[in-house]
Amino acid sequence: MEEGGLGMGEIETELPPNVSVTSASAIQEFIKNSPLQKILNWGRKNSLWFMTHPMGCCGIEQICVGVAHYDTDRFGIIPRCSPRQADVMMISGYVSKKYLPALQRVWDQMLEPRWILMMGECAISGGPWWESYSTVTHLDEIFPVDIYIPGCPPRPEALLQGFIELQKKIVAEQDRTVIPNPADGGV
Amino acid sequence: MGDEKIDKTIMIELSNTFKDAVSDVDVPSPNRAVARIDPGKVKEIMQFLLDNGFDHLSCVSGVDYPPDKMDVVYHVTSYSAPLVITLKASIPRDDPNIDSLCGIYWNANWYERETYELYGIKFNDCPYMKVLLLTEEMEGDWPLRKDYAGYPDLT
Ligand code: SF4
Repeated sequence: MEEGGLGMGEIETELPPNVSVTSASAIQEFIKNSPLQKILNWGRKNSLWFMTHPMGCCGIEQICVGVAHYDTDRFGIIPRCSPRQADVMMISGYVSKKYLPALQRVWDQMLEPRWILMMGECAISGGPWWESYSTVTHLDEIFPVDIYIPGCPPRPEALLQGFIELQKKIVAEQDRTVIPNPADGGV
Repeated sequence: MGDEKIDKTIMIELSNTFKDAVSDVDVPSPNRAVARIDPGKVKEIMQFLLDNGFDHLSCVSGVDYPPDKMDVVYHVTSYSAPLVITLKASIPRDDPNIDSLCGIYWNANWYERETYELYGIKFNDCPYMKVLLLTEEMEGDWPLRKDYAGYPDLT
């Protein structure tokens, strides 16, 4: 009962004896510190669905990585066409100032937990467009980026390696995803 | 549209029709022709070219020559002849403006808007004179002018 009132502060109801109330965030806190979290992370790492969202010339390689030749399905990495179904967003090319709001909107549509892979020089630093008047060069200050995959463009194998590194990060709980708090209206 | 006209003789005709407005006519290769035109006469000249079979405005671009001059460069081609005509009009740099071609070639609209956002060249009577590919905040920066100081872009 000491903990119980936490989430129900405003509602003054008489509880029957021997009944305690908990809150969603208390449950989550409990899961976070228990072996259950490891099982959750294992599931997350093995279902890294990525959004097919080719942006620059790197997009060609991004499409390649989803096809049978590289068979990413064996790692649970499956291309999806909607941000609402995806866990991973790859920034695969140059982002112009005009495009940035749209990219942010796509990112906002993804459900947590979610991760970002930076693919190619353009996304990491602006690449060939470093001195351009319209390219956003510091995307890592805007998005929580987990993996940087350099190359122009990186080969699909490199992309696959990036995914595997991300899986390692998730298992080690070193990733930058924000685990949503149900109390904040998260999922 | 007389097919026999759609070759280099169009340049002779052009300079005969617009004696004062066309200068420095040159035909450097079998399928290129160059001339300088008077910016005040650009509409009449383009209408003349359109009436003579040059039905494709391929490109409108700008060149910055600090401190006092800017060029607007038009590339006009034809779907029925292998000839590209390059026309250059010089305008003053402190008040760069020229007549819009939107009423003659319908596709001039986007070309002119892009030239406007990159160089600040105003196209009079263009119905949509606002930025095309840049963000609204960048209107007035004119990033392709030689004195643009926005590099490197540390957003
Ligand atoms: S990093 Fe290279 S290949 Fe990738 S989008 Fe940029 S220029 Fe294209």
